[in-house]
Amino acid sequence: MQKKILVVEDDKNQILLYQHELTLEGYTVIAAKDGSEAVKMVKERFPDIIVMDINMPRMNGIEAMGKILGEQRKIPIIINTAYSNYKDNFMSWSADAYIIKSSDLTELKSKIKELLAKNE
Amino acid sequence: MLPPILKDKVDDILRGIMASLNAGLSVVDKDLNIIWTNENLRRMLHSKHSVVGKKCYEVYGCACKDASHCSSVSGLSNGERNVSDIQFISEKGGRKYIKNISIPVKDEKGAVGYFLKLSLDVTEKEEKISQLSLLRKFADMMQGTLHIDRLLHLILTCVTAGTALGFNRARLFLVDKKRNVVYGKMAVGPSSYEEAVKVWSEIISKYESLEDLISASKDKYQEDTPLHATTRLMVYSLADESEPIVSCVKHKNIIWGKNAFHDPTMSRNFVSMIGADEFVCVPLIAREEAIGVICVDNHYSKKPVTEDQVQMLVTVASRAALAIENAEAYKSLEEKIKQLEDAQERLIRSERLAVIGNMAAYIAHEIRNPLVTIGGFARSISRISNQDPHAKQSAEIIVEEVNRLEKILANITDFGKPLKPVKGVFQVNDLLENTCSLMGPYFKSSNIQLIQKFNESAPPVTMDSTQMKQVFVNLMKNAVESMLDGGTLILETTSDDKYVKINVTDTGKGIPAETIQRVFEPFFTTKVDGTGIGLAVSKKIVDEHGGTILVKSSGYSGTTFSVYLPIKTE
Repeated sequence: MQKKILVVEDDKNQILLYQHELTLEGYTVIAAKDGSEAVKMVKERFPDIIVMDINMPRMNGIEAMGKILGEQRKIPIIINTAYSNYKDNFMSWSADAYIIKSSDLTELKSKIKELLAKNE
Repeated sequence: MLPPILKDKVDDILRGIMASLNAGLSVVDKDLNIIWTNENLRRMLHSKHSVVGKKCYEVYGCACKDASHCSSVSGLSNGERNVSDIQFISEKGGRKYIKNISIPVKDEKGAVGYFLKLSLDVTEKEEKISQLSLLRKFADMMQGTLHIDRLLHLILTCVTAGTALGFNRARLFLVDKKRNVVYGKMAVGPSSYEEAVKVWSEIISKYESLEDLISASKDKYQEDTPLHATTRLMVYSLADESEPIVSCVKHKNIIWGKNAFHDPTMSRNFVSMIGADEFVCVPLIAREEAIGVICVDNHYSKKPVTEDQVQMLVTVASRAALAIENAEAYKSLEEKIKQLEDAQERLIRSERLAVIGNMAAYIAHEIRNPLVTIGGFARSISRISNQDPHAKQSAEIIVEEVNRLEKILANITDFGKPLKPVKGVFQVNDLLENTCSLMGPYFKSSNIQLIQKFNESAPPVTMDSTQMKQVFVNLMKNAVESMLDGGTLILETTSDDKYVKINVTDTGKGIPAETIQRVFEPFFTTKVDGTGIGLAVSKKIVDEHGGTILVKSSGYSGTTFSVYLPIKTE
């Protein structure tokens, strides 16, 4: 059974990149373009892991993460952001991993693999 | 009628009275001819010959030219007294003030045929009045002068001006509490007898009033006079009360040295510096504290100093002291304002830098997002284009360039983020060794000879070793980059009881004076491919460690960066 990854990202080209790369790794990739859409999709599509951007319109990633974690505590969440200073926000500590965005997706891929294996 | 024998007696008595009266007497007829005078009048008017027979107005210098205009003549008809004042310059050059009282003289029938003129010399009284009014003007001027040097000059001019106090020379001393001394600040007066004669005659001929003299001497204080120079050499410790100036300050009393050359109790050193047999030192007292001394003498005229003059000097000194205190308060206020302005300027500058920093961080993040996509897809293309070497190579170039940009952006975003050192205790020498071995291949390829001068007994320092290593890497990299054709890199450690000092010296092209102050500013760089972050980050790290980083360069060859790390930090 293919694992389902929810990518929450407002940059549509980046979504295309993640979809392309993560599909190649053998995952099913679904995408939400902001926090509120992500909250809705967690309820409807039951992803196995979430890759969450922070800076997004309407609802940011930190707020969305709070709402998702308020309803269930099982899905691992990886924060994937260009900003390093959100590490100081204690809300981000409840994420399972914090990754600074890079064009090199090696770190992201290995984190996904590691967290999914832990959750087996 | 009196018998002739008695008449002679009365005449004698009258003559005696007239001679002993300290007043000039004259009898003037209706046509203003002087028909009789006593001897006193001639002396009073400094006239060589008798003035009998002359016209009254010629002698007394009145404005009227004939009897119809003379106010005294009008008294002839109504019998009233008339008082008039005259002043003139005597042959000796002094100003004289005379008060004249005209009394109509009646004959036995009650008719008035001539009048008696009584002349009193009121020069002394008038001088006193004008002196007092001058001193008041001086006090006003002093209060209005806030520039300290100008004020001191004004005080000394007042003390030496002939129309005011008229001392030959005046020196001003001020107390310096920090150094615990009283020192010669300024002096006014001629330096030789010849100069004194020249100056006085010039002053008398040129300046009508004291105000003229002051406005002429304003801003014209001459610092190159011998008197000023010798006064500046006079510095006395406040502990040495054998010196008259110190004693004057300590006890706030007047020191009046008479016969100083032969007074065994007088400090020889002081007397030889002052060079006058008689002198007076008066303390400048403001708010019950002596802030200085005015010292005067009549070295050239040899005129003895009078009690009156000293009293006047005390009055001037008390007003002067308050004015000096005001001026000094103003000066310190001015300095405070200057400091405040500097601080404000620094604040604006740092705020400007903060704005630039924030803007840079924002732009960096905005650029980072598209870079992720560009680089990510380029990687993906390079992976799948094994059949097309050209496409693969092109994609790899994109990946490489994106990597470079991402690294620069990471640097910039790092700058904005607060550094929280994770500290441990380390030997600076070990850290340097470690950094050098890391950079060994880089030194070799850049043709750099490394010289290490480590002080092995330097104590360990509390620091974040990763951050400090970053500082050393930045400094060494800069040094190597400044030596384009190779050179020598000298690493030196020294220590004292407070700091361990690390010197990184190169033999490169140096930093020009106009840019050396800016090298630690973020985004300041002279390198073509520099980000201007390395030294700014280094400075920030050293600051966070409670240390200091300094740079020295001759401007054309060689630069030394010095890092001071405190040995004890909390």
